[in-house]
Amino acid sequence: MKKYKILLLILTVILFLPLVSPAAEKGSALKADVIRKEPYSDAKKTGGITRGEQLQIIGKKGAWLNVKTAKASGWVRLLSVKRGTSSGSNQIKGVLDAASGRAGTGKVVATTGVRGLNEEELKNAKYNEAEVKKLESFTITSQQAQQFAKSGGLKAIKFDYLSEL
Amino acid sequence: MRVKYLFLIFIFISAAFMPQAQAFDFGEALKDVIKETTQGATSSTNATGSESEKAFNWKSPSPQEEIQIGREITGNLLGAAPLVKDAALQKYVNQVGRWVANQSERSDLPWHFGVIESEDINAFAAPGGYVIITKGLYRKLENEAQLAGVLSHEIAHVVRGHHLKILQKSQLLDLGADLLSKQIGRDSQVIQKVIGSGAEICARSLDKSAEFEADRMGVTLTTRAGYEPYGLPEVLQAIGQTAKDESTIALLFKTHPHPDDRLLKLDEAIGSRLDNIKNAKTLKTRFYKLKN
Repeated sequence: MKKYKILLLILTVILFLPLVSPAAEKGSALKADVIRKEPYSDAKKTGGITRGEQLQIIGKKGAWLNVKTAKASGWVRLLSVKRGTSSGSNQIKGVLDAASGRAGTGKVVATTGVRGLNEEELKNAKYNEAEVKKLESFTITSQQAQQFAKSGGLKAIKFDYLSEL
Repeated sequence: MRVKYLFLIFIFISAAFMPQAQAFDFGEALKDVIKETTQGATSSTNATGSESEKAFNWKSPSPQEEIQIGREITGNLLGAAPLVKDAALQKYVNQVGRWVANQSERSDLPWHFGVIESEDINAFAAPGGYVIITKGLYRKLENEAQLAGVLSHEIAHVVRGHHLKILQKSQLLDLGADLLSKQIGRDSQVIQKVIGSGAEICARSLDKSAEFEADRMGVTLTTRAGYEPYGLPEVLQAIGQTAKDESTIALLFKTHPHPDDRLLKLDEAIGSRLDNIKNAKTLKTRFYKLKN
């Protein structure tokens, strides 16, 4: 009986695992910033984040992310937050890459058939006129692009180039 | 004329005795002199023939010359990875890209956009309006505003002539002699000589400041086009999650500042400037989905 209980527990965990994880994405603070009640710069302050602090991302609205930290929750500027944790499943991918010979510096022994674009491959590339012609065949005019924008409801606005601080 | 010849002799002598380490800085100064002397030379041959037509103006190339260089580089890149065989996809990126490019000061260029068959995560720009993104990067995108963001960063490189500047810096040392003997022509062999082996220019790093500038301009162009301004930052956030040791992103990480640094720089430049942008669109429903 005990064995069945353990099995049941494991099955339950496996069943709910994918449901739980995407609900709140993990992230961390890229810099110190203010958490606000609403996604506006003049909204009431509800707390703050410090650089490197772990947080959960619940939602997104324009330039703002709805986050939850250990102490507070609310809206913080999108650019103050780094999404995800840079380890985890990617490490498995790294191991797979090594196994298929894709890792390392420039040496390609892979037989996977997937074309890479490392320095060596770029350097050894041979000019392909047929592909350039093909690329150029898809070229559209400025007017055609305007039509495309219009059909999507896009309107060009005046906005000065962002300058370096 | 005699003064000019004396000048040339002086250049050759000083070039011959020039230590390697100084070659680069000296090259910049040398370039202007050569430009002046060759201009003088070609204008004097103007009367006798069409020789002057042949001199490739590397210092300030005409749009046609820029396109020629870019076409050659792009041809090499496409030799490494061909276009994805999906006409609807290629048409779509040209529509989005051209609309964004229209918002720049180089809307006169015949812009070309393409998605190439590679699972690497990267995008490339070549002079004259050639912009290529990999299928691997396209896969990371969720909406049209993000595509616009990625393309706009590359468009900015073209508008500011970032790659052209690299070529200009290196070409003089390789071709200085040819320039002086007026052997330089319009043929692709000469361009090939300057752009180096294959598409290696695509694997070279630009200045960090050029990348940050392209990010700022990218966000600007995306905003001007009516898209959600945060298209590019969102892609940077997604890319930042990819592990550094993953092979598909190795080249991008090697040639660009880390996404975290790029986001922080963007944040500094943006501040509250985007707070009042209204009716911006992501166009998620129109975003073209890859077939495989």
